[in-house]
Amino acid sequence: MAENLTEKANDILERAIYAAAEFQEFNQEQTNKVVEAVYRAALNARVKLAKMAVDETGIGIWEDKVWKNVIGTQLVYEDIRDQRTVGVINHDTVTGISEIAQPLGPIFAVTPVTNPTSTAIYKILICMKTRNPIIISAHRNAARSTGEAARICYEAALEAGAPEDCIQMIPAGSREFTQMVMAHPRVALILATGGTGLVKAAYSSGNPAIGVGPGNVPVFIDESADLPFAISSIIMSKTFDNGTVCASEQSVVVEEKIAPQIRDEFKRQNCYFLSPEEILKVQNIAVVKESMSMSPFIVGQSVETIAQKAGITVPKGTKILLAELKGVGKDYPLSVEILAPILAFYTAKDYHSAIKLCIDLNYLGGIGHSAGIYANDEHRIMEFSQLINAGRIVVNTPTSQGAVGGTFNMLSPSLTLGCGTGGKNITTENISVKHLINIQRVCRRKMNDRFFSIDKPKYLDENCSEADLRFEYHKNH
Amino acid sequence: MLDFDFNPEERLLTCIFKGRLDTVLCNQLSTELESKFTSLTKNDNPGALLDFGLAFDLKEVTYISSSFIRLCVTGKKRVKDGAFSILNTDPFIMKTFKIAGLDEILQVK
Repeated sequence: MAENLTEKANDILERAIYAAAEFQEFNQEQTNKVVEAVYRAALNARVKLAKMAVDETGIGIWEDKVWKNVIGTQLVYEDIRDQRTVGVINHDTVTGISEIAQPLGPIFAVTPVTNPTSTAIYKILICMKTRNPIIISAHRNAARSTGEAARICYEAALEAGAPEDCIQMIPAGSREFTQMVMAHPRVALILATGGTGLVKAAYSSGNPAIGVGPGNVPVFIDESADLPFAISSIIMSKTFDNGTVCASEQSVVVEEKIAPQIRDEFKRQNCYFLSPEEILKVQNIAVVKESMSMSPFIVGQSVETIAQKAGITVPKGTKILLAELKGVGKDYPLSVEILAPILAFYTAKDYHSAIKLCIDLNYLGGIGHSAGIYANDEHRIMEFSQLINAGRIVVNTPTSQGAVGGTFNMLSPSLTLGCGTGGKNITTENISVKHLINIQRVCRRKMNDRFFSIDKPKYLDENCSEADLRFEYHKNH
Repeated sequence: MLDFDFNPEERLLTCIFKGRLDTVLCNQLSTELESKFTSLTKNDNPGALLDFGLAFDLKEVTYISSSFIRLCVTGKKRVKDGAFSILNTDPFIMKTFKIAGLDEILQVK
């Protein structure tokens, strides 16, 4: 059995490496042709793929999945279309340094159940643009829709002249096999988007990895904010695809003095505050207490379904369930990340207490991911941003759409959001083509006159102090 | 796109490729190679091991696809004692074999 799996893994990587070899011969024009073909085919299939994903996974809302597919195709394509990713991509006449882009080689891409087709298409596009073959490992509950997205892209890529096997899928369901491929010496990079376990496996594989895991996004509403606008924006974000975006709001933090107004505004906009008894019922079905992680059974479910599972009654048309919590951590299960329309609500006695609460929430499983602030006070925006450990702090913007980029701001549109070292990532950026190339630097001779003007024996003289050497170094400059 | 030069004394078949060896062309080349192998070997079984050496000359080749790399691997496996080599590659094509990790196995020169 293990031998068969090894053979299978070797075969997949052999195909990928041959594709990589052919791909590196492509010039920018050939590469762009492949990318454009994939983009066109995937965008044309956006509705079909969205419906398939919802049918298969039972997660989210198909109309919102369409928008995700649009982000993963059209917005990503428009962002990368004119970028140079082949050959000389930059030349600086002042420094004399030229930069040459080289592909990495086979990329092993893991895609999540929450955004299966959009993530697959986005990863395929950025891999094709960088001439890297991609091997996709789909979540077992989204294998059919992810496979269809990959098939559509692959056929379009081949038609445009891409190498055979430039896009491959591995069978879903076998953790052993996934880990075997992940650790294969011929994998150049792992691009993993998913849960904590998966990201940890990627980093433990021995291969370079960009693994992006969970968030726990706090949002602070400052007294200077436009409150009805802020609440409306949060609702739009948290209800988008039933809250499945990892950058969606998880907690709202406000100062006591504006809390009544905010409560009223949430209620006015059809959100429901759970009673203490209802909070207990919801947390029992929403969070696995032993692991303090969200239950997979409520991910991407509607308010009605969640209420039904919890055995509570909420007004018809309720958009979000709000849980007023007094603390953060294991005694407050709803303070963890929950990818569903459930939102924790905190009141703090003053501004600094509110910020400290946001930091606590940020460090409860979401370090480095994203955070949000609604304010019209630049000083507070910058203070909050410097205190929070998040790759993206989105201002007066829905966090789901804002962190993903391309719509509400000028961030690179991406379905894999770097979380920095806090999230065990090498970058806090939105992952895009620039992370999938090796940049070689051709460095022409440019003499450092200050260094060469120093009389070299002075360095060998123990009596020559740092001050002497500093003076010599800067003399006449 | 493909010429042959068989040296009976050395028992060496040199296959001289030309131009861009893309996927479509490689399918045709595969058929041509097979029919040449059949004409030179004493064993009538298709896919039988070859009792002569094989060299692919890429002097006039400007581009190779992954299908051609597969063709080379198949060629190497077909030769009875493994006497297979690839000759006259330009640096860009040499790099392609290098990336595929096959430059040593296929004796790319």
